[in-house]
Amino acid sequence: MYLFNTEIVCNQKLSPNIFRLRLKATKDFCREAAPGKFVMLGTDDSLFDPLLRRPFGICRWGEDWFEVVIKIVGKGSCQLSRLESGGAVAIHGPLGNGYPKDQLESVQKPLFLVAGGMGIASIASHIFSALDSKQSLAGTFLFYGAASYSELILRNELTAATAIGLHIHTITDDGSCGRQGLVTQLLATELQNQPQGRVFACGPEPMLKSVQNVLQKVGSEGYISLENRMACGFGVCLGCVQTVLSEDSKSGVETAKVCTQGPVFPAQEVVF
Amino acid sequence: MVDLKVEIAPGVILKNPVLTASGTFGYGREYAPYFDISKLGAIITKGLSLQPKTGNPGVRITETACGMLNAIGLENIGVERFLADELPILRKLKAVVIVNIFGNNQSDYAALAAKLDGIAGITALEINISCPNVKAGGIQFGTDPQAAAKLVAAVRKETSLPLITKLSPNVSDIVAVAKAVEEAGSDSLSLINTLLGMAIDLDQKRPILGNVTGGLSGPAIKPVALRMVYQVAQAVSIPVIGIGGIVSARDALEFLLAGATAIEVGTASFINPQTASKIVEGIENYLDDQGCDRITDFIGSLEKNPI
Repeated sequence: MYLFNTEIVCNQKLSPNIFRLRLKATKDFCREAAPGKFVMLGTDDSLFDPLLRRPFGICRWGEDWFEVVIKIVGKGSCQLSRLESGGAVAIHGPLGNGYPKDQLESVQKPLFLVAGGMGIASIASHIFSALDSKQSLAGTFLFYGAASYSELILRNELTAATAIGLHIHTITDDGSCGRQGLVTQLLATELQNQPQGRVFACGPEPMLKSVQNVLQKVGSEGYISLENRMACGFGVCLGCVQTVLSEDSKSGVETAKVCTQGPVFPAQEVVF
Repeated sequence: MVDLKVEIAPGVILKNPVLTASGTFGYGREYAPYFDISKLGAIITKGLSLQPKTGNPGVRITETACGMLNAIGLENIGVERFLADELPILRKLKAVVIVNIFGNNQSDYAALAAKLDGIAGITALEINISCPNVKAGGIQFGTDPQAAAKLVAAVRKETSLPLITKLSPNVSDIVAVAKAVEEAGSDSLSLINTLLGMAIDLDQKRPILGNVTGGLSGPAIKPVALRMVYQVAQAVSIPVIGIGGIVSARDALEFLLAGATAIEVGTASFINPQTASKIVEGIENYLDDQGCDRITDFIGSLEKNPI
């Protein structure tokens, strides 16, 4: 993990309130980047308002750049979304454990990727990683749900991955694109047909809970990536902790730091 | 080059006046990948209790204007695990270690002090009588001068380690609490802990923090902290350690001018883990530029006349 100041290469508006930032990065940083890892991103540290850096999944990266996708939800994301090419940013990362590589790259397919809303930024990191390193995604299914058509982002880039075997199914809450409904409905149907499939999911907590239920019913394995609030990103503030099952603890549960022990956890270990 | 050594309690001479505030520096080793933590005056651990504590449920942190609210609830691994797993690492890293302690009642504090007495690698204890986030976090002692004094006296009996008492700003007269704990045998004082605050989600019409209220920290509280340090430093004869919204060397130097012998860096370490070490460098550079030989000449040298 590294700490450095850098600048924006470009900022692209993906929807009325979602932006993709490409940032310059060191080669060392890019070598450590992996699907599911994240960065703490801030603007000028001397202004203190917003005070804390914000966590964002590393969505895509090259030799000396990486991208994050930002939805405006408050002051921090709003300020970052307004940055233009050349704008100054401070980086801390890559942080977190990321998706387990052996599981992602296992030849035992199928692989079910489940993204809800902004969870696509994390899930897409595996797809782009495969695309950029010319690996096959045969047997990989993306179930991608969002509130409406305008929030289904990165459509062209994801579609490009169909050339290396990715199957894409989209669904929206309002039916404005793909089927109307919840992304976990797509997952439940497909898992019943192929219960040996491994599941990787990122999205809002209600969606992750539902993924957990689907997995439990079918008896399949999976991993979920959490998005808890955090102040530091490196294991000291204890703001992001999540209750997880523990064999060591008398009560059977303990708290885990989402930043350093996660953000990716085996789905059945998380206690919502 | 300026001599940065300060004496934060009788016989406790630190290489510089920069410490880390409890609860923002983990158990210390989390920062080792970012800088050499032995370069700091001292590190103060996350508050320790006799038994491990899981902390508060629900949302624990939320940002506010130039600050943040936290309601962690004193989550910690407990004193036994600290001694077994963490202290040896800190010793290997050559950090100067001050252990922050808290309990549910006076006998918990006394037992912790007794347990930590004489353990190699511990330089002093900081007694937390000021956490606003849990009922049993010491705050019941910290808001009453007599209760605070009684607690400090009880801890004093159990240990020969130097005692720093960490004071709460959530009182009407912090000077009264400061004088009372000085009288009771505290070797020095650290202030301020967080200010009790609250955040509301307007659209959901609900409190944001799981604990409803939380402790405010960050640059937003610096003026309050500076005022309290200034008042307390004039009223007591033991060293005062300034805490509250310090993010830069200039902030730290303002506290020293106001009479603090040392300072603690807190929330700023979350933003950039190297902040405390940068503050050491910044203080050194500033005082060198001023032609100051000893930092002790600078401490408390605030002019009386306002600008």
